[in-house]
Formats: sequence, C-alpha cells, structure tokens
Amino acid sequence: MTITRETKQKFQDIVGTENVLDSALDRFAYSYDASFVSLLPANKPEMVIRPLTTQEVSRTMAIACERGIPVTPRGAASGRTGGSIPLRGGISLCLDRLRQIVELDERNMIVTAEAGVRTSDLYSYCAAQDLFYPPDPASWKFCTIGGNVAENAGGMRAVKYGVTANYVMGLEVVLADGTVLMTGGKAIKNVTGYDLKSLFIGSEGTLGIITKAMLKLISLPKKRGTLLLMFRSIDDGCRAINQVLQAGIVPAAAEIMDKVCLEAAARHKRMDIFRAGEACIIIEIDGDNDNMLAAQAEGIAAVAKGCGSREFRLAGSLQEAEELWEIRRGLSSAVASLAPNRVSEDISVPRTSFSEMVRLIRTIGDNHQLTIAVYGHAGDGNLHPSILCDLSNPAEAERVDRAVEEIFAAALSLGGTLSGEHGIGITKRPYLSQALGITAVNTMKAVKQALDPKGILNPGKIW
Amino acid sequence: MKEEGLGQLMHGRAGDELLQKAGKTVSQCDRCGACLPVCPLFGEKDHEFASARGKNAMVRALAEGGLEPTRDLLARVDFCLLCRACVEACPNQIATDQAMIDLRQYLKYRMGYKNVKQEALAAVLDSRTAVKLAAGLLAFCRRRGLNGLFSHSLLPEEFTRAHFLAAHAGPAALGQKTPIAGLKVTGATKVAYFQGCGMRLLFPAAAARTCAILAATAPLVQRANACCGLPHLAHGKRREFLALARNNIRLYEGSDIIVSDCASCSSMLKHLGAWLEDDPAWKDRAALFSGKVMDLTEYLAGIGYRPPMKADVTLTYHAPCHLVRGQGISAEPRALLQAAGNFVELPEADRCCGGAGSFHLDYPEISSQILERKRKNIERTGAAIVVTGCPGCLIQLTRAAKKSGHKFKALHISQII
Repeated sequence: MTITRETKQKFQDIVGTENVLDSALDRFAYSYDASFVSLLPANKPEMVIRPLTTQEVSRTMAIACERGIPVTPRGAASGRTGGSIPLRGGISLCLDRLRQIVELDERNMIVTAEAGVRTSDLYSYCAAQDLFYPPDPASWKFCTIGGNVAENAGGMRAVKYGVTANYVMGLEVVLADGTVLMTGGKAIKNVTGYDLKSLFIGSEGTLGIITKAMLKLISLPKKRGTLLLMFRSIDDGCRAINQVLQAGIVPAAAEIMDKVCLEAAARHKRMDIFRAGEACIIIEIDGDNDNMLAAQAEGIAAVAKGCGSREFRLAGSLQEAEELWEIRRGLSSAVASLAPNRVSEDISVPRTSFSEMVRLIRTIGDNHQLTIAVYGHAGDGNLHPSILCDLSNPAEAERVDRAVEEIFAAALSLGGTLSGEHGIGITKRPYLSQALGITAVNTMKAVKQALDPKGILNPGKIW
Repeated sequence: MKEEGLGQLMHGRAGDELLQKAGKTVSQCDRCGACLPVCPLFGEKDHEFASARGKNAMVRALAEGGLEPTRDLLARVDFCLLCRACVEACPNQIATDQAMIDLRQYLKYRMGYKNVKQEALAAVLDSRTAVKLAAGLLAFCRRRGLNGLFSHSLLPEEFTRAHFLAAHAGPAALGQKTPIAGLKVTGATKVAYFQGCGMRLLFPAAAARTCAILAATAPLVQRANACCGLPHLAHGKRREFLALARNNIRLYEGSDIIVSDCASCSSMLKHLGAWLEDDPAWKDRAALFSGKVMDLTEYLAGIGYRPPMKADVTLTYHAPCHLVRGQGISAEPRALLQAAGNFVELPEADRCCGGAGSFHLDYPEISSQILERKRKNIERTGAAIVVTGCPGCLIQLTRAAKKSGHKFKALHISQII
C-alpha cells in the first residue's frame, strides 16, 4: 500500500504540512515502542500524522478508510506489548497534540480530557482541587490518557482503587470511517443500550480512535504513608499481604520484589537497604488523618511480625516515601539493564495463587537455565516475570520461547490470564486463543468485523 | 595523496570504534519514555527524534546497520543541548549526551562534517592569541555601543558588580575566609584560575571579580590557558580537543587547586582524566589534573568563604547544566547567595536555558522558545537579579532580562558574592 502524493496533500490540508512527517528518519522514529519487539528490522509507518483536534482525526480517518490505508494510533509509545507499532505500515496517527483538559466538573467529580494528556498531568490538575484520579501505571509521568484507556492500564493503586476501566464514564471515539461516536456520560447509572464505552476500553486501537475520555474522580486522601517490609521469602511476603487484606486493611498499593530485583535496584540506586531478606514489599497506606494511618500501620506491622518479617520501616518524610516509590517505578528498566535482553510478561493470577505462581516461575527458570526476575502487584495478583537473556544466542532464544509458553500455561492453570495491564499487542498474540477459547476469540472478531470491516485499525494486533 | 588515503583509513577505523562505543552506550535504553517530559528540546519540538529515546534508537539503528549516515541524520545528532536532563531522569542513566558527542565525531570522520559557525568559532578558540584579539575587539565594540553589530546577542550587554553595588549596596569589601573550612588552603597552597573563553570574551568584568575574590583567599596563580576544548569535543574535533587538553594539563602542573568560574570549563576539565584514560603517556597526568579542578562556588564553599555583605535585594539562581548535572554542584551556589541577598528558589532552576554552547547560534528559534520558559519562571520569582555560574547561560539570561523589559538583571555569581 502506497500513499499517493495526492492523498498526502489531502492529509496535509487537514493537519497542516508540518504535522505530516514522512522522512526516512521520522518514519524510523515512529516505528517502535517500549516493548521488546526488536528495533530492527524497523516497522516503519509510511507516514506520521499529528492531528490537533477530534475533527482532524475524523477527517483523516475518513480518507484512510476510503483508501484502505492502515492506521495505528499512538500516544507516548510507552506501551510494553507493541500496541502502537505500525506493523503494517500505513499511518502512525499520533494523538500527542490533543492535550487539552477540557473540563473539571468539581461538583459531579468528573474530568474530561483529550487523549494526549499525560496521566500525571491529569492527576496533578485534579489534585490541585483535592480530587483524585487514582490509576497510576509506572509510566504515569509520560504515558497518556488515550493509551491508558486503550490498554486499560493498571498500576500500583489497583488493589484499593481499581484500574483505568473503573474510572471511565464516557468516551469520544472516532470510528474507522471517520464518524465520531459519543458514548456514556455523567450519569452514574446508565443502562440505555449496550455499554459501548466498555468495548473500547482495552481495545488497543483496533476498534476506534479514542480522542476524549470522561473520567470519574474521588476525593483525594488527605494523608499518605509508605512502609517498607522485608521477608525471608516470597512465600512469607505473600502470606502477609493476604492476611493484611483479610484483616480488613486495604493498602493503596502493595508491591513485591524478589531477590533479583533487589539486586538490580541496589545496583542502580546504589543502596544497601535490602540485606535483610529475599523479598521486599513496599506498601502505601492512605486515609483522612494520622490516626487512620497509624492504625493501618500498626495492623500491618502485627501481621508482618506474625509472618516472620525481618524489617519494618515507615518512611519518615515525603521525600523518603518518594525515593522508595522511585525504586519500584524504575524497576522495570533497572531489571532490563541486567542482561542484553529482557523478555517481560504481565500475567495475572488470583491473589492467593501469587506465591504458587512465583514458585512455578522459579522451576521454569531452573529447567531452562534462565534467570527470571519477578516483581509485581502482590495486592492484586498481577506479576511481571522478566526473563534475563541474550536473544542473539539462538539456542537461548529458543529456551526463552519455551519458558514464556510454560509461564503462560502455568498462569492459566492457576485460573489466571495472559495480561493484567499491558495488553496483548504483538507480543502475546500467539497465546490468545489458548487463554480465551475459540468462542471468545470469534466473538471478538465479530465485533471487530462490525466496527472495522476494512480491517484498517491497528492491523496485526491482539490475534 | 597516499598519506591522505591512510589518514582517511585511520579515521574510518577510529570512527567505527566510536560508532560501536555509542551503540554500546545506548544499548540499555529500553525505550520506556521517561526522558520525554524532561527534555527541553522535546518540550518545544515534540517530534520523537528530538527526545533522548529517539536519539538512542537512532544511534542503535545506525550501529546495527538499520540506518545510513545522511545529512538529515547529522542535523538530528546536532539537535541536542547535551544538558543531561535525560540522563538524570533515565532509570538506567543512559548517557545520551556522551553518545551524541561520539556520534558527532563519527560523522565528522565519516562524512566530513562541517558547520560553518562552529568551524569559525573553534578556529578562534583554538588559539590563545586569537581569543585575546577577539576579546579586545569585543571590548572595543562594547565601549562604543556597537553590540548591535553582532547578531543574536553574541555580545551581551554586561551588567557588572559596579552596577550591582551602585544599586544595592554600601561600601564593597572582599569576603573573608572563615575558620569552618572543609578545604585546607594555606599560604603555600597554589590556587590557579582557569579563565574560559566565554568569560574572557564576553564577561571580562566578572572574570576580574573572580580573580579578586580568589586572590583574597590565597596567592593566585594566573596562567595563559587555552580553551578547555569542550566546543571542539562537542562538535567532532577530537584531535584539537586533545591537543588543548594536553596543553592545559602541562600548564597547570605546578598548581594545587585549579578554579574556574565557568561551569562548562570546570565540568570539561574534571573529565579530562576519563578522556585521556587510553593514553599511557598522559593518563596519570590527566587524572591528577582533573582531581585538582574545582568550580568557583565549590571552592568557596569548601574554604568557608562568606560574601562580604548581605544586600537587600531579591536574588534567584539558574543552575547551569554543567554544574548541577555535570558536577553535582547544587547546594554551594545557593548557600553563597543566601548569604549575599534575599534568595528565592527559581521554578525549574535545573532546566537548560537553551544556550548550550553554540546551540543558540545554530537553532536560534528553538533556543529562544526554551529561554522564554526560563524568562517566565524568573519573572514569577519577582527577583531583581538572576544569578548563574556559566557564561553560556549568562548570554541567554542577559537576553531574557532584555526581553522582560529589564524587570530583572542577569549576573555572574562572582559579581554578587
């Protein structure tokens, strides 16, 4: 498929000449994302188009649809599964210029933002009015709302506050043919017809281009505290988290890291706080006052002691708390730097199966002579095993493939699933029907067929 | 002819090594995007290639044969402030600035990289005589009010300590050493001043004031030093850079402490040891030299210097990239300013001002946009004076002061303390 000069001119008329990029270097620069899909050979788009408004997106889509040009939407390209990689060329449709926060309705506690608004910017904007947008993917400083909705991004606060989907009240979506769909709204109860907005949440750009999101807010917790706990083993740590939750204490976040991760973090941050054990848990607690925080901290300390914790620390200052969270947020990249390649997964299991899953991962690693770092959201059962490897060695690459297959099979056997928060994109495609069954896949394909009969929206993804 | 061919071959080999080195530097970039919100260039021109992630990917593709060296690529490698904001934000601390320096050198070898302005500037800075002549010419122009001859404020109007004192102070005295010194300086300590080209050419009054301060703390040695070599290194003139480096090392061998009032010079000089690591004849001498280099504020804080007076004037501070990220110096200048006036913190003080050596000459428009953000931040503080420790930044800040309708003035820190 080649975009003709005449078609290019049409796109330039819509978005302005400077917002259509097609030099060799620009095409390369929009060929990758934060996944481990190889940089080369590059999956270059034929053209990069950067609209400013929903109307420009709509007009661009109308032409792309008429000419059958593939379109891959892109926010900050910070996805981990290749969702924004233009696998079939065509157009890389960048939504990063749609960056208006359209409205903050304080009385209904709802914010409306364009797709290209950065998640942390939205958070700060709302927090200034004591309103709280909780989803906090590790990439929140640079990822964008459109991508968060399209991938149904999670984050560390999911254990208490849920994921992006739990906050979407309504969406503005440009459909494959350029028509603009508005779905949902400010009414909390709404069963008028199909819940179409849910169809687009986690659709990875395959059903429509999300241009605006209307998001629910809650009131901002007045106090926050951060705890650091060390345990002898992952088992002890997981047991402690489950008991904490059963005791009715719901931490805002509960993140666990294994020994390999602790070494990576220690090396990166030049810290030696992790000597006391093989598992570290960082917990965030929040509430309306210091007493509430103290009660939670005491409750957690008591449970942790019962589970044999080796160390219990309460961050003394905001700065100390921020440093602890920076360790966790930077972990993905810190782990990646331990080996030439890192194949990272995003499986999700019932919370009580977390430590069993870690055990199975260890066995799989041992069987294939691979080091696998494990960290994740122990509070919600979503874990990120990272296989440290050198994919330039064909024999090792082969072993990595086997290990990934076995990790997925193990997750499914425990009643879990392929992806908790990263999506399927390119990298998990081969395992989809195993996870969902053929009926579910066919139903999804029927939906796709109905909304995108020409198959121009993000082709090559999910299945 | 034959010799030229051999030279090219040698360059080719050295170039390939540099390309591989740059490729290795960025190989641990996992393209997460953490650099996107901190890159000042990406903030103004939000195309992927402007970001560190875009540059890292480009280097990697070039090293692995996925891209060809072209003029377009050259322009994009040039489009970097070397400000290290990305390095600081990167979970893996990928040294994109280092990769850009190596790649510029590679492209110079590979395709005879030429930038007329940079070549002209480097040619002047190569020679101490030329620098002196240029300094004289600029001083003459300034006296005659001929600043306008030079495009784009290459020659800023200098606001000096004399102006500062006239406006804000009583009688001037040099600051005293106090006994809480962490750094031992005795009558026998040979403290030398390293005068950078920027200070010599553009801010001679500030340089003179630095000398006066230093001379009051220890017997001061002045040497006829050459350029620190950073402009050469940054733009693919490695041979010239190394020649200047060796010259400077030789010149200061008798000194115990080498102080510079230019953040870029002191940062460059502190790293000479690393640049000459592979040269057995110079390795140790270079390391010894680098170990003696101190930024002016680092030195003054070390000996417990107190500014002679506290003026009733609101001061704020712009942190030069090469001081805060290049040398990790952040508290010292602020402490000095707190003692010299009513200090207020500048929002985004660490963000590059857009000067970046000769970047502002090559990309005036983007540079001005970056500076606009700085200007607004300075105006927000309500400070009468913005202070910094680098002539490159001072050029920019002087422009910002003018743009603001002289709501504030820009001064080198030596003029305040």
